[in-house]
Amino acid sequence: MRDHDGVPTALEVRGLRKSYGDGFTALDDLDLSIPAGSLFGLLGPNGAGKTTLIGSVCNLVRPDAGSIQVFGHAADTREARALVGLAEQDINVDRFLSVRQVLVYHAGYFGVGRREAVRRADEALELLGLTAKAKVTAPELSGGMQRRLVLARALVNRPRLLILDEPTAGVDVDLRAEIWRLVRTLNDAGTTILLTTHYLEEAEALCDEIALIRAGQIVDRGTAVALRAQYAVGSIADLYQRALAPVAS
Amino acid sequence: MTGVLLSPGEVVDEFRAERSPFSWLLEREVLRYLRIWRYSLVGPVLSTILFVVVFGTVLARHVDGLGRFSYGQFIVPGLLVQAVVNVGYFNGTTSLYEARRDRYLHCVLASPLRWGEILGALVLASMLRGILVAAAVLAVAVPLTDLDVARPGYLALVAPAVLVVAAQFGIIAGAVASSLDHVYSIESLVLLPLGFLGGIFYPVNQLASGWQLVSELNPFFWLVQAGRTGFLGSADVPGWAALLVTWAFAAVLSAWSAVIFVRGRRLKS
Repeated sequence: MRDHDGVPTALEVRGLRKSYGDGFTALDDLDLSIPAGSLFGLLGPNGAGKTTLIGSVCNLVRPDAGSIQVFGHAADTREARALVGLAEQDINVDRFLSVRQVLVYHAGYFGVGRREAVRRADEALELLGLTAKAKVTAPELSGGMQRRLVLARALVNRPRLLILDEPTAGVDVDLRAEIWRLVRTLNDAGTTILLTTHYLEEAEALCDEIALIRAGQIVDRGTAVALRAQYAVGSIADLYQRALAPVAS
Repeated sequence: MTGVLLSPGEVVDEFRAERSPFSWLLEREVLRYLRIWRYSLVGPVLSTILFVVVFGTVLARHVDGLGRFSYGQFIVPGLLVQAVVNVGYFNGTTSLYEARRDRYLHCVLASPLRWGEILGALVLASMLRGILVAAAVLAVAVPLTDLDVARPGYLALVAPAVLVVAAQFGIIAGAVASSLDHVYSIESLVLLPLGFLGGIFYPVNQLASGWQLVSELNPFFWLVQAGRTGFLGSADVPGWAALLVTWAFAAVLSAWSAVIFVRGRRLKS
């Protein structure tokens, strides 16, 4: 799929299904299209299918059916994976390596040469304020610092599609503001961003389009303004209650 | 804010690597156990050497009936196999199980690394660790026991198979284990008994025929026989049979782990 100007759609998901062994259906014939260059928010309650969708895009979940394309490449190809950066909701860092090594090796997994990997790691350390912690191992970092490391790691392959799964969950106000600035800067430079968050004001402030997900399906999507008008509500928080209430409650 | 990371890379029709992602993962795997060298290398070397010293030199004076070989020479090949298998087991479980448990395996799975490259890097890193441990054990055990290599060509053929068996066993265990208790249970309830009943410390032809049959059903037995044939020139079974069975084990375990990685059942949700 391509946008109107001929650029491949950043993410094209068609008929995606995923049920887990316990019978829980996480994704139920989900369709989603995210235009290149957008800052796209995905809102939904716990268990709505957000993380399963992200996992399916990033080769961490085995979908039962459906197709996923990243900038025109099937998601299970190396070409697609090379284009995606992922910062997961849970902190998951290699505890055997130093902070700097985590970034260098992650760049390496994307085929970057050593000199460039080291250069990118140093830049990521500086960007996320981790330079002073470069030599310590990840478990020695505080929670906020680990969150910074996860974000830094998602950038070292220079992704065209950056997936941030609740990047500001549990972080302090300063770091949240810093992450917002970073997200906006990346998006301004052309990086497509898929953001999931439970902070509704965050979605409203950052995202140029929002999709509402419930029970494994996209319920609605649009700009914050259009959605508020459509549901005749004053805020995204009210919209969330209105559109997702049956399951959220 | 400025920098190259703030702008996205190019969309390309074909993935091209400046350096192979496989070599990066292999390097990471080796670095992992070099960082914990006391546990990963010194520990297994020391415990094997203690076996050689206690059993092969001190208790050897009370053991006879092994023909032209001393008891020390007799047990060293089996102890070497045991050390390599233990190292392979703990390498696979520590590396893969912990990567699954702490979910940093996701970084690898989400990267352009192909399943064969991931598995290959894990196997090769484990084999290199096995070679390091075996070399260190031999460096001490050979002068202690005057051990020689009777059939170097045979040993060169069988050693890679033993290393592959050890590596793949650890990787499979690392993939299927669902808890640390599981990891250590496999070690103490499966690996240790199989090792001790695998003919490391005694020739199986001295057992009653029923027990000989039981021994032959033990995979460890065949690895020990293969190692012993390489070092001493003969063992309880023909050399060709030990070689064949050891490579067959290597092939079966390799196929098993390949299925795990292709299907991703234990690695992905």
